[in-house]
Amino acid sequence: MSQLEQIQKAVFDGDEQLTVSLVNEALAAGLNAQDIVDEGLVKGLHDCGAGYEAGEKFIPEMLMAAEAMKASMAILKPHLASGEAGAGGNVVLATVEGDVHDIGLELVATMLGSAGFHVNFMGPDVETARIIEAVKADKPHLLGLSALLTNTMDEMPVIIKKLEQEGLRNSLKVIIGGAPVSQDFADMIGADGYAYDAAAAVPVAKRLRAELS
Amino acid sequence: MSIYIYDHAKEVTPMERMFACYSGEKTDRVPVEVHPRWAALEYIGVTFKEAWDDPDLFVKAQIMAQERFQYDSVADYIMMGPVEEAIGATLKYPEDDVPQIAEPFIKTKEDMKKAKWKLDPTEDGNMPKVLYCIRRLKEELIKRGKGTQQVPIVTWGSCPSRTAACLTGFKEWFLIVARDPDWAVELMERAFDGWLKMAIAAHEAGADAIWINDPVSSADCISRAHYEKLTQPYERKYVEAIRRETGMKISFHPCGNWHDRLDLVYSNQADGYFLGPMNIDLCAQKAVEVRHSGANPHLHFLNGNYGAATKTSTANRKPVPYATTLKFGTPDELIEESRIIIETVEGADIRCMLGPNCHEPKSIPFINRDATVFAARKFGQYK
Repeated sequence: MSQLEQIQKAVFDGDEQLTVSLVNEALAAGLNAQDIVDEGLVKGLHDCGAGYEAGEKFIPEMLMAAEAMKASMAILKPHLASGEAGAGGNVVLATVEGDVHDIGLELVATMLGSAGFHVNFMGPDVETARIIEAVKADKPHLLGLSALLTNTMDEMPVIIKKLEQEGLRNSLKVIIGGAPVSQDFADMIGADGYAYDAAAAVPVAKRLRAELS
Repeated sequence: MSIYIYDHAKEVTPMERMFACYSGEKTDRVPVEVHPRWAALEYIGVTFKEAWDDPDLFVKAQIMAQERFQYDSVADYIMMGPVEEAIGATLKYPEDDVPQIAEPFIKTKEDMKKAKWKLDPTEDGNMPKVLYCIRRLKEELIKRGKGTQQVPIVTWGSCPSRTAACLTGFKEWFLIVARDPDWAVELMERAFDGWLKMAIAAHEAGADAIWINDPVSSADCISRAHYEKLTQPYERKYVEAIRRETGMKISFHPCGNWHDRLDLVYSNQADGYFLGPMNIDLCAQKAVEVRHSGANPHLHFLNGNYGAATKTSTANRKPVPYATTLKFGTPDELIEESRIIIETVEGADIRCMLGPNCHEPKSIPFINRDATVFAARKFGQYK
């Protein structure tokens, strides 16, 4: 098994200590940092996401894989060529006001970060006014909104309406996700995309980012 | 929806209907149990905070809405965190939503020491307010029934895994489950007592039945192995303790997708299950199997659901909407889905209750609430 394959497996297994150790060894051996990210860490996290989809991995395992990835990214960041991180575009992610659930969104942040997006992760229970402020300040290509509750999902169309009122709607794409929402709901409220989970968010984000170019 | 006239005189009281269903018996028709909160508040036009600040207003909302919509129970301040608050967590009280824990209270094992684990529901935190609400509901229901309570009061309890997750924060809870199962057990052990005492106090105050939920042990969250070894034993311990200490009928809400562990959750000894967004055929089939196996002799009813637990809406782990038909669908869609639920559950010779597949959302059109009871009357007659 190659070093990159070992890193991929260590992330898949959620073994943070081993992943960090292997990443350090790979750097010492002269492997390219971006290759370590793309061929090791990201593949491992994607494998884990596929396992979640298949009902073989669960939230604890996804979180451990994400933790392994984050710890490794902290080591790799100084070695990545400038411009590579964030080359995919800017993203603002927030769980809407009144909703304290952000595990899924944090996984989305990790996945998008590893896919080359620069992510402003605002966390849970973010007031609509703060989201609008972040959009004005960051000028993101994508805004990702999450809700776990049937009651808080109602805030999503409010945010989209507010973006329209502020003249910001055409400058970005809006992706929604979370247990109670669906593609039908996304269509109904005028969102541009819907992702069922973190793994699904990356291709949707890339597609929507390309549409903006 | 066409106008459907029924003869009110032929109907039994909601109390009789619900308790027959809890025990697996048939009365006039299937009951409707919606775990009402927003139905009540929206009907009299008050926010949650207004009703929280004035429990008599909450009681008024519950009574008036039940009389208006004619579902089969009233509820106290359900799905909140008075026990977690009394243990030491800080709750955020929004203007028009239920309080939520502002930030994780237990971040390290050392934080366990600052928690108040032994609680007195008559004195600690906001637990006395919940008990006051139950007592007032009882008084009003007996008064309106001219000396006989005709509508049951359903209270709520949090199983130990949920309480532990609320105290640590959900993300940390899941990491603890994977990395430090001994700590997970210790947390559930400590968390057990508060909500048991609350259930006992609620029963003494006048609650007639209880529903309990577990939103952190579904197949969306943890593995079947983790559920079987860690959290299910504490669910069962909680259910059995409530039955032993209070005798209340117990409905258990497995929140989310539990397709791969229905046999385990059905074995936690509840009287019935308020199903999440799952395949109703599979849920009914597994309930029959568990009952025949003798793993849960109490299992008598399924709180069948709108919007997702239908034959076509869920298959294994595909995207699932929560209670969305109730909120966004038409009355005719609701009635049709209700027909499927009733026929599937009753067809398996298990009693059916109609209800949402998640806690009822805000802003459900009144006509959709009416459609719920309409469907129970049209398709749920035991004749």
